[in-house]
Amino acid sequence: MILQQIFNGLSLGMAYALIAVGYSLVFGILRLVNFSHGAVYAFGAHAVIFFIGYHFGLIPAILLGVLLTGALGVLIDRVALYPLRKKKSPGISSLITTIGISYIIQNLLMMGFGSEKKPFPKLFDNRIVHILGARISTMQIIMFVTSVILLAILTFLIKGTKIGLAMRAVEQNEKNAGLMGINTNFIIAFTFFLGGISAAIASVLISGYYEILYPTMGFMVGLKAFAAAVLGGIGVLHGAIVGGLVIGVSEGLAATWFGSQYRDSVAFIILIIVLIVRPAGLFGRKGIEKV
Amino acid sequence: MRKILSVLLITVVIVSLLGGCSSSNKKDSGNGPIKIAVAFPMTGDNAEYGKSFLLAAQIKVDEWNANGGVLGRNIELVNYDDKNSGEEAASIAQKIVSNPEIIGVLGHFSSGVSMVAAPTYEENKVIEISNTASHPDYSSIGKYIFRNNSVISSEFKVIEDIITNDLSLTKVGIVAIKTDWGTTAGAIAADMIKNNPGLELVAQEEVLEGSDDYSLAIAKLQEAGAEVVISVGMYSLIAPLAKQYKAVDPDIQVIGLSNAYAQQLIELGGEAVEGIIFPVSFYADSDEEAVKQFVTAYVEEFGSEPSALAAQAYDSIGILLEAVKQNGSLDKETLRDTLNSITYQGITGETKFDEIGDATKEYTKLIVKDGKFVRYNGKAAQ
Repeated sequence: MILQQIFNGLSLGMAYALIAVGYSLVFGILRLVNFSHGAVYAFGAHAVIFFIGYHFGLIPAILLGVLLTGALGVLIDRVALYPLRKKKSPGISSLITTIGISYIIQNLLMMGFGSEKKPFPKLFDNRIVHILGARISTMQIIMFVTSVILLAILTFLIKGTKIGLAMRAVEQNEKNAGLMGINTNFIIAFTFFLGGISAAIASVLISGYYEILYPTMGFMVGLKAFAAAVLGGIGVLHGAIVGGLVIGVSEGLAATWFGSQYRDSVAFIILIIVLIVRPAGLFGRKGIEKV
Repeated sequence: MRKILSVLLITVVIVSLLGGCSSSNKKDSGNGPIKIAVAFPMTGDNAEYGKSFLLAAQIKVDEWNANGGVLGRNIELVNYDDKNSGEEAASIAQKIVSNPEIIGVLGHFSSGVSMVAAPTYEENKVIEISNTASHPDYSSIGKYIFRNNSVISSEFKVIEDIITNDLSLTKVGIVAIKTDWGTTAGAIAADMIKNNPGLELVAQEEVLEGSDDYSLAIAKLQEAGAEVVISVGMYSLIAPLAKQYKAVDPDIQVIGLSNAYAQQLIELGGEAVEGIIFPVSFYADSDEEAVKQFVTAYVEEFGSEPSALAAQAYDSIGILLEAVKQNGSLDKETLRDTLNSITYQGITGETKFDEIGDATKEYTKLIVKDGKFVRYNGKAAQ
């Protein structure tokens, strides 16, 4: 029973981790908590279902949907955040703006697709594997592997490529990076593009797992993913994964010991405790800038 | 300058307040259309319901208008969007009661929201009929507050019958959504099981809507040995729940409430919702002429079949207009008494409000079979 709940919690945590990576990515580069991430996540699944509706086939529809969601990230930056940066507005304005954007996206999705819950096609034939007497589905394993791969690619991109170097430079000092010949606006837009793509990948996997999508799907899970990102040390990519897993497993254990009505508050209780005890999160180091 | 400005502002405020007085004292002119307010979520999470109820209400109004309206006047619906939020509903209720042309309200969607708005209607003697609220305390808020939906406890009696007599199962689990309504209904279900010596409540779990993973609750139910699970929630709970439960235990019997009856249940649940049983007060594939007529008009506009709740919205407008007709005037007090005394034959069966304003409903049992809703006559008949 406990083992089964831990496995359930792990797969739940993987979903949080996938989304948390996007929060961490944008925060790591821009020092901005992008609260529109949950809505962008919902947009990703809807974009894919839209292309599937036009008979693009599953794989091309996913690719197009993911790219379109990346483009949405760039659009958000261009339309709403770039003007704020140009006017040198304080960071809090950008943060509030992203909250506003999340509502705009959510409501546009409702207007376009309706608010009802819609079925999402099954991505893989889901089989149950038994490990030590507990059930784990192939989809859960695929989610785990995908988020580790996504993490590896993103880490490589930031640590090992020229554009990653530029991203880190922008993170350290945007003005000086510009003086060194880095096109900072492009780099920031690119970061949002990556954020959008990671959100879309997460939403395709998670919608495919639960076979369900709706415009507000990113709200609750987005909040928990944010808690996961903060728990792991926001801005630290592998921290987001660990944070997601910790929250998922604690939800599983909370559901077992206290009943599932208490499961959802656990994520936020953990968030508060972490913020009190270790404000920088599990892997974040105080004072040292990190990517 | 500042002084002048503040005096000016105060004047503006006072004038606008006085203006407010005069408009609320406005009397019904007596020859314009009779207005009925429709207050549901038209945007936000539950917009699908609001839109479908508005359409159902409009179909009924169109029918009456085609036959010359009521008391020689046309009928008009006034649409409000309460976003399924208590705060919005409170201010909408104020707007509605300050418009003397409005004789009654169809709404609001969730029990919690309806109960926020109800005292305002009661105080101003405006009839409120909710086609969805099933919280036991809703209709006892006042004389003018009516419910054209099943009271949840009567629905559980049918479910009890299904479990004990039709299915002969004993170990029951409950999964309820964590809202005011879900918690209350879940507790009533638990009481029902505890009071029945033939049944055993093995586990009762609450889940938050919007977190689509129910595996944690399912693992507990399964561990406790549940043979049958009562899902206290809309189609959006029961479809994913059934899907996730059947992945771990294909033999589980899932039982829903009447509000699970929606086309989306089958679209969303696919094979996993096969065999789900629930009681309903309205069945869209019925042979009755009135039902067919409504379903055709509804499908034409909406594209999918009406739910039981939409049918109740249609009947609620019908019973209100019938009461106006029989009453012969729009006097608030006599209209209320007439509404409480008539028996109305609608598409959800015979509707009559009792003293506290609850409608008694007759139930049909439905089961999902081969991707369709069909009548359920017990295990032996299947």
